[in-house]
Amino acid sequence: MKGDRLGEFEEFTLLAVRALGDSTYAVPVQQYVEKVTARPVSLGSIYAALARLEEKGFLRSTMSEALAQRGGKSKRVYSVTPSGLRTARDLHRLRERMWHAITEGGRS
Amino acid sequence: MTRQSDFPRAAHWLLRMSPVPRDMRAEVQADLHELFVARRLDRGSLHAHWRLYHDVASLWLQRRPAQHPTAPTSTFGLLGDTRGDLRYAARMFARQPAILLLTIVGLSLGLGIATAAFSIMNAAVLRGEGVVDPDRAPGVLRATGRSVATAWSYQEFVHLREGATRTQVEAVNQDGAVVRTTTGEADAPVTRLTFVSGGFFSATGGRAIAGRTLEAADERLDGPPPVIVSFVFWTSRLNRDPQAVGRTIWIGRTAATIVGVAERGFTVPSNTLIWLPLTSYDAVYSTRPVVTPPKVMVQVFGRLFPGVAFPEAEAQLSAVAGSLPGVPSTGESAVRVRLDPRGGLGRMSSSNVLAITLFVFAVIGLVLLLTCANVATVLISTAITREREMGVRAALGASRWRIVRQLVTESLALGAVAATVGLVFAYWTIPTIGTMIEAPAGADLAPDFSVYIFLGIVTLMSGVGAGLAPAWHSRGADLLTPLKGEGAHDRRMAPRRLRSLLVMTQAAASVLLIVLATLFVRATWRAATVDVGFDPNELYAVSAGLGNAFSGNDGVKRFWARAMPELQAVPGMAAVTLAEMTPFAGGSKTAITRDAAAHVVHLNRTRADYFATLGLRILDGRTFTAGEIAAKTPVALVSQSLARAYWPGQSPLGQILPQEIPLPPTTAPGKTIVISAPRPVIIGVVAGAITARLHERSTFAVYEPLDPGSEVFAQLLIRIAPGTTGAIQQMSQRLRAIDPQVDLRITSVAAGLRQEASRPRMLATLTGFVGIIAIVLCVIGLYGVTASVVGQRTREMGVRIAIGAQSSDLLRLLMWESLRPVVVGVALGAGAALLASRAVLAVMFFGVSPRDPIALAGAAVILLAAAFLAVLVPTRRAASVDAAFVLRQS
Repeated sequence: MKGDRLGEFEEFTLLAVRALGDSTYAVPVQQYVEKVTARPVSLGSIYAALARLEEKGFLRSTMSEALAQRGGKSKRVYSVTPSGLRTARDLHRLRERMWHAITEGGRS
Repeated sequence: MTRQSDFPRAAHWLLRMSPVPRDMRAEVQADLHELFVARRLDRGSLHAHWRLYHDVASLWLQRRPAQHPTAPTSTFGLLGDTRGDLRYAARMFARQPAILLLTIVGLSLGLGIATAAFSIMNAAVLRGEGVVDPDRAPGVLRATGRSVATAWSYQEFVHLREGATRTQVEAVNQDGAVVRTTTGEADAPVTRLTFVSGGFFSATGGRAIAGRTLEAADERLDGPPPVIVSFVFWTSRLNRDPQAVGRTIWIGRTAATIVGVAERGFTVPSNTLIWLPLTSYDAVYSTRPVVTPPKVMVQVFGRLFPGVAFPEAEAQLSAVAGSLPGVPSTGESAVRVRLDPRGGLGRMSSSNVLAITLFVFAVIGLVLLLTCANVATVLISTAITREREMGVRAALGASRWRIVRQLVTESLALGAVAATVGLVFAYWTIPTIGTMIEAPAGADLAPDFSVYIFLGIVTLMSGVGAGLAPAWHSRGADLLTPLKGEGAHDRRMAPRRLRSLLVMTQAAASVLLIVLATLFVRATWRAATVDVGFDPNELYAVSAGLGNAFSGNDGVKRFWARAMPELQAVPGMAAVTLAEMTPFAGGSKTAITRDAAAHVVHLNRTRADYFATLGLRILDGRTFTAGEIAAKTPVALVSQSLARAYWPGQSPLGQILPQEIPLPPTTAPGKTIVISAPRPVIIGVVAGAITARLHERSTFAVYEPLDPGSEVFAQLLIRIAPGTTGAIQQMSQRLRAIDPQVDLRITSVAAGLRQEASRPRMLATLTGFVGIIAIVLCVIGLYGVTASVVGQRTREMGVRIAIGAQSSDLLRLLMWESLRPVVVGVALGAGAALLASRAVLAVMFFGVSPRDPIALAGAAVILLAAAFLAVLVPTRRAASVDAAFVLRQS
């Protein structure tokens, strides 16, 4: 997966971050993706996808304050960048166009 | 990283072993824990555990890329650490610029000299001449019951080639001619040519980078000869002309068309610059139209067909040679073929330079040893002062491997800088060293890929070696002790031994080089003042370059018959003669033996007035008569030394010259050894003279009459009366009047002698230069070591003074301890110099015994004096320490 294209799993992760609202972190993302896709998702793959997305500039992250409920540990919170949003939308439009073509082809 | 109380311990440890960077583990563990707790609530403990370990395992499988540029992950950890090491090394060296500079200068010199010497050796010996698989391309020797020769006639070669079924048989003839690249080119140099048979390139594996190579169809007599030029010729004479193929150049007396440019590195045989077909031999040298195949002697070599063994090929070729026309097929004169794997093409040049190769490689090794020892010494000295820093690093959690890596990185960084400087230095010195070792003209000395590989390996080795020395020094040391302050210093003996060893090595190498340099200097001085037995001034050798121009008729005889009286009539011409060999222009050697006393003698064939021209007195008997020359009577003159060796106390006149024995091929490579019979009768004794190699000092010589049939290859030797001018010009004019295209090459015998004498001078320059560098490096190292050692012992000195020691006692103690390794090194170096000079160099020292006491003593005195000064400065400072001050300090 080179450049600024999105893989399927990356797309899920990106959309999950967006869906969960800004300043979400790895655990809710894992739970969300697992729930939506209805298949077991490992935390390691979520970390890897988040890191790759951040590297591509689709996500940005900051460290939160230390939280009492996490045993005094801080967490890395993510939010989607405009470029990430744009890429996800482009991908969505592309898919729509293709489905549109398939549906039209089916009619005629 | 602390563990939450209900987080499984095994998962905690697995996480610690995972590739997750240390600074992120806490966060990851918090995430895992949160999920674990949620899943346990949701699906129960078993499921939560199973998913937890699954997640931990996924951390291995799902490597994340570097997330934070400032905190490298383990994937890039090594690189990042190295970058840190480098940055740290740069900071450290910036604090000590003097040490940095000294080390880089030393390393650059060492690496530069080693690289230059290696690239010359590479060009001269290792790279070879470009023959593919030379082991399967033996020389084809012409053996009879009485002689073994490398030369065949062209007709014999053609017969062999046509009959050979197991071998591809090809032939070469090396010569030289004036080559002009444009019609108007003046003073064009004589260029090495090789006349080759059509299959030469296919047999040697030579390829063309432009145009084509020579083929069998090129062996023809009509039209301008097709030529292949070497890469060096194309570069140096044709300026890499892209349109070189198809261009016309003028070789000797003919115009030739370039049909191809040979690939770089293909110079077979002996740095050939131009290849022509053998059939064009007469076109290059002859004035007559070329109609018949050349009457030329060729050197033959074979390329064994795949799967053919040497004895099989030899037997088959011998059978062919047995049917040579005009040669008896049985008896002593029957010709057989002997295949000589060591006598093939591209093999002759290597044996010639073996001694010098060994010598230069020994110097390379010494220089590198010296450089490594020096850099190691300097680094150890700094390591001593850095013990505290190392202690801090160890205390902060750096492993020993980490500290070693830091040290090696530092020395490798130094090495990389030094290698770059050294390469520039090497480019600059290569032509100089090339001249020193008499690299043949036309040799491509530019460093190639293998030179860079060599430099890389040497840099790596010296870098790692020099970096490991301080690491070795700090082995077993308690890295934390230095942190406790100077008073708690442990006194280890091992490092001191290592330092002494390094200083000793440097001293020994310096002495060895200085002794050799001194010997060479003295040899130069002797060579310049040696009495060669005749006056070389105003003596000139003239080659008329007749080649085979007049072969097959009496043209040569007529040329000389007309030329000699004309030359004698030139005003200022004192004497003129013809000889096969002129002084210091190479020579043919042979060995004669009687009653098991074998002597190597120089064999020359001359006219009767050769001795008068050279100025050699005839001590007994007489010179040749015209009748003896015409009738080819076997007579000879011998030198006085030879007469004394074989006939002590009696007259050699009327004696028969002892039987010749062929020299082993290594002594006279490529020379034709023919045992002629009957043996000549001695008719005169001549005063001794050195006419060949100066360092051999041999005045053993045999002079036989010059056969008029061989005058084509003879050289003119002329002596000009002192104080006359213009005789040379007049001579050239008169010879050109006889044959306008005569190819005159005039050389001064005195210049030849000077060049002979310059050989030891060149070697003296090389070793002297290296020797001075050696001493400088040694003194630098010694100073550094002494300064740091006495610095460490300041406290001890304070105590000694406090309990009553005098300053002079301390000085003596410190001086002796510092100088002891130098003294041992000097002794070792002197021993090594004796061995080295006796084993390898005896042949090169002219008139100087390898056991030259002045050289040995001189080297020892120079080095000890330099070492004394290097040690004196720091020890005096240490010995004059204020006891009260030092003791208060601790």
